[in-house]
Amino acid sequence: MAADGYINFKRFPTPWCPGCSNGVVMKATAMAFEELGLSRSNIVVVSGIGCAGRTAGFFNTDSVHGLHGRAIPLAEGIKRANPSLHVVVMSGDGDLLGIGGNHLLHSSRRDTKITVICFDNEIYGLTGGQMSPSTPKGVKTLTSYYGSHYPPVNAKGIISANSRHFYARTTVAHFIHMKNCIKEALSWDGFSFVDVRSTCISNYGRRLGFKSPSEMLNKLKIDFKMQSDPLCLREKELGIEKKDGS
Amino acid sequence: MTKKLLQGNEAIAEGALAAGLGFFAAYPITPASEIMQHLSAQEGTIGYVHAEDEIAAMNMVLGASLAGCKSMTASSGPGISLKQEAIGLGHMAEIPVVIVNVMRVGPSTGMPTLPSQGDIMQVKYGSHGDNYPIAFYPNSVEECYRYTIEAFNAAEDAECPVFLLCDGFIAHLYEAIDMVRIRTKSRKRARKPLGSTEARHFTGLLSKDQMPATKDTKRYREWHRKVKAKVSKAARSYQFYEYQENEKSNTLIISYGIVSRMTNELKDKYSLFRPIRIFPLLDKQLINACSKHKNIICVEMNDGQYAREVQALIKRDVVSLPILGGNITHAELVKGIDKILRSKKHGR
Repeated sequence: MAADGYINFKRFPTPWCPGCSNGVVMKATAMAFEELGLSRSNIVVVSGIGCAGRTAGFFNTDSVHGLHGRAIPLAEGIKRANPSLHVVVMSGDGDLLGIGGNHLLHSSRRDTKITVICFDNEIYGLTGGQMSPSTPKGVKTLTSYYGSHYPPVNAKGIISANSRHFYARTTVAHFIHMKNCIKEALSWDGFSFVDVRSTCISNYGRRLGFKSPSEMLNKLKIDFKMQSDPLCLREKELGIEKKDGS
Repeated sequence: MTKKLLQGNEAIAEGALAAGLGFFAAYPITPASEIMQHLSAQEGTIGYVHAEDEIAAMNMVLGASLAGCKSMTASSGPGISLKQEAIGLGHMAEIPVVIVNVMRVGPSTGMPTLPSQGDIMQVKYGSHGDNYPIAFYPNSVEECYRYTIEAFNAAEDAECPVFLLCDGFIAHLYEAIDMVRIRTKSRKRARKPLGSTEARHFTGLLSKDQMPATKDTKRYREWHRKVKAKVSKAARSYQFYEYQENEKSNTLIISYGIVSRMTNELKDKYSLFRPIRIFPLLDKQLINACSKHKNIICVEMNDGQYAREVQALIKRDVVSLPILGGNITHAELVKGIDKILRSKKHGR
């Protein structure tokens, strides 16, 4: 496999369920590292808590696995202490958009030069399937018995509210697109956020009636279309919205 | 003449710079804000972030420390409560950082502009799980400078978060100090910073043989034993205290911080013990000093938090004299001690 050098196979197996899409994001990131020619000793991967929070430990680089929601400030501390490092945050929607939402708001405002890759599977998978900030309205989970009463968080809105920003939306069902988004994010001179729509079959999909992981992936392909306007990313579109203003 | 008129908080900031501070992040809070204000002018020379909240500040200093910078944050009681989860991460992942806690009257917002010593227990037991923080408590502006450097050194030796305690009084007190004359060597960082080919994994989970996580109880006990021993070994090099024995007296007064400057006026009447490294407890020194006295009185600006610790250590009655936070007077101190010694149980 390409980009093997960036993955630490000695630490396998991962704790992820069969059919989980986290490994796909990990592979795309490793391939992005390789295609950009980044040196292993120049990358630090930081994670928070959750299924996606376990990603950091499987990279063949120095990595830090911190607290729930606090991956971004941990990464910002590392970046400001050593600006020559590529600091990549890989964590989930509950971690980055829920408990850590305040840090996303402010780190992006400060335009700290880190890349944040959000595994957005719309659920708290590790703890069994509780409602996350990105769970769609009306969806029943273990902690939303009558269905979620609220619309999901608007991550693009948070990021693009800053005059200078980089926001990419992609899915695990669009591998090449995802890898290219991550590559562009890593090359962006400032705070970059990649919103990867992913799947969780074990603690989410099967309760929604999906029979297999591939059915969930196909749903992503049906739900999302490619960007129609290069300057603006509409809802349910995949692509990049960025602005290099001051 | 190299003397400078400095505030306690400014001396802490200067001490940190002298120790080789490379990164500082904090969130403003009375009465600790002046540390941050003073270091704000160093932005560019050191890494400096005015963080969005206390939690972010604590996590940033942990990250910066792993990336090779000597790092510090400063706060007061309510902010320290918010930092406690990340302090636990510092203990688990063995990350050296210095946390300044300038204490004010609590709980909650309490009387934020008035001094207190109410966080003694929070410093020792505030974070979750078993951990062994080291804490220093200076009682003058000069000591603020000196013990900030020592706190950094202890953090490097023990590879864990170290507290520098202060009260709103000392932090805002102005005294002339000679920083050139205070020679305290600062330790170099032993651990290699992040950014290596070794693929090291720093985690809040218990890890085993570089595997990210384990549920092995034996490994947990072995890790716990190792960390406990490492901290207590490191702490042995930092046994700072002041003991003034008065042979005419059978009463020992234990106090620290601003209160110790008040009790110092009574040195002709009683023996005095002032712990500077307040945690881990100075067991040998305290047991030795207490063994020579009939009455042990612990005076502090809280309801007996340190008195209970000392009592558990020496396995004898320690009378607590709480002079609760806010404005305190020497008269109430003298009156309180007299009342204790007049009571039936204790006598001269």
